Amino acid sequence: MAKFPSVAWFDAVRDVYNKDDAMHGAGSGTCNCVVGVQVGRELFQLTFEGFECSQAEKITRTKLDDCDFYLHMTTKDWRNMLDNIQEHGHATDNFTLNTLDLGRVEGLSSSTHNDQYREDLFFRYNQTLQFFFDGSSRVKTTY
Amino acid sequence: MATAKDADRVRPALTLSKEELEVEVPEPRLNWMNQWREWGVRVKPGKKGLTLGSLNVGLYGEIPMNWPDRSRNPRGAIGVTGTPPVAIQIKDKVDLWAPCAADLYEEAIQRRWAPATDVDWTAIHPLPDDVERAICQVCTEICQYAIIDVELITSWQHQMAYGYHEVKQFLATTSLDATRRHEAFRKRALVNGGGLGYEGPCQVSRLLLESRGGWTETVTGLTLVRGLFTQVMIRYLTRFAYNGVERKIYECVTQDLARLLTYGIEHIKYALAHAPDKQGSVITTLAIGFRMFNRDLRDPVLREALAIIFGGGIAGARSEGMHVFYEMLDEYVEELLGACQYLRLPVAMEQLPTVFQKDKRQLPGE
Repeated sequence: MAKFPSVAWFDAVRDVYNKDDAMHGAGSGTCNCVVGVQVGRELFQLTFEGFECSQAEKITRTKLDDCDFYLHMTTKDWRNMLDNIQEHGHATDNFTLNTLDLGRVEGLSSSTHNDQYREDLFFRYNQTLQFFFDGSSRVKTTY
Repeated sequence: MATAKDADRVRPALTLSKEELEVEVPEPRLNWMNQWREWGVRVKPGKKGLTLGSLNVGLYGEIPMNWPDRSRNPRGAIGVTGTPPVAIQIKDKVDLWAPCAADLYEEAIQRRWAPATDVDWTAIHPLPDDVERAICQVCTEICQYAIIDVELITSWQHQMAYGYHEVKQFLATTSLDATRRHEAFRKRALVNGGGLGYEGPCQVSRLLLESRGGWTETVTGLTLVRGLFTQVMIRYLTRFAYNGVERKIYECVTQDLARLLTYGIEHIKYALAHAPDKQGSVITTLAIGFRMFNRDLRDPVLREALAIIFGGGIAGARSEGMHVFYEMLDEYVEELLGACQYLRLPVAMEQLPTVFQKDKRQLPGE
């Protein structure tokens, strides 16, 4: 049981993602990027290296510059997404990262540096990121 | 397994005649063995393995601004003299280079997928006839785009100097990506009781195929006009996917296209940084591209098919479906203007055809 959002929760999801070979093939594979996650006012940083998500840590706003891009939603919207993943085993309909990015006026993925090369990693690694969050279906989550 | 009988049959052919045995075999000179431009290189694999980019050490990492050698001599090797030149026309780094090409190549190789086995085709289920027809029509057009991509990229590849093998290798993966895109969408069109529809209008395609001026200008059309629009369209198709089969195809294709777009945008950025006078031809190419794209959009087939998909059928196409279609165009324009800003290209909304301008757009029937 892990509370969202917290480093412990991201570590639990990392564990699922890192151990499941099915999440590392078929259009996924190696992934090298630093992803910020903003949940309300709380900020986290996920480091993807090769086939694993090697680290999750809590960060301050100034560290967002180190992130290639960051995913931002209110706590409520994150919860809606995670509930959908829990229910179906993976994100469906309006709760995939792609759809959330398209469907929300403010988008889902942003950056503080406006470097398009780094921002576009969101699209280049989209399948991996989706697999990662889909992995939360196997983590008992409290809020 | 070879039998004794087989051995008997082979042996006579290997038997040398007396004359042959008397031919003098010269002592090996081995004089080629000391002819290395740099010896003792030992690249060690890193966290990402032994990558193409990591091989760029010492003289092997010297990537000159010009590569006058019109042979197939690999960069770092000792060329021979007197080789007839091959049809290499792109010899300047500024005309093809993107610093990320080696990384994109590795990414394409490592993140490959196979439509035949990575898509769970059994998850397909019958759809209403109007929706199935619309999906098949869109698949047809995307197949056509993919064919154009392959033809276009391969027609330029052989003209590029071997000194820039990172770019040539990456572009080889984009050709494969495009053939896989063709494969996946053709399979989707034929897997659920539908088939291929109308060939789409070809103004943008013709512009791309007839682009002979330069690779940078071709890349401009290929990425900022055709590629970016295709990626936005496929992202919207993902949002409105009817089953897991489509979702999987769209998600993987989005990633494939993202690599091509990254190369294109980073190449244009590199070209403009090192040859600012290219800005004029890039902007002109964009202007022509938008005009051609505008003409393609006047054809109702793709618009109507997408509206039916987005609206859940013909009934919902006119209102909800068309609304989403134009929202998709707005998303394309936003991404396009964002890319132009990143590239410092003076392209503004007012310069685009009115169909791309939300406030000036005339909707069908108005």
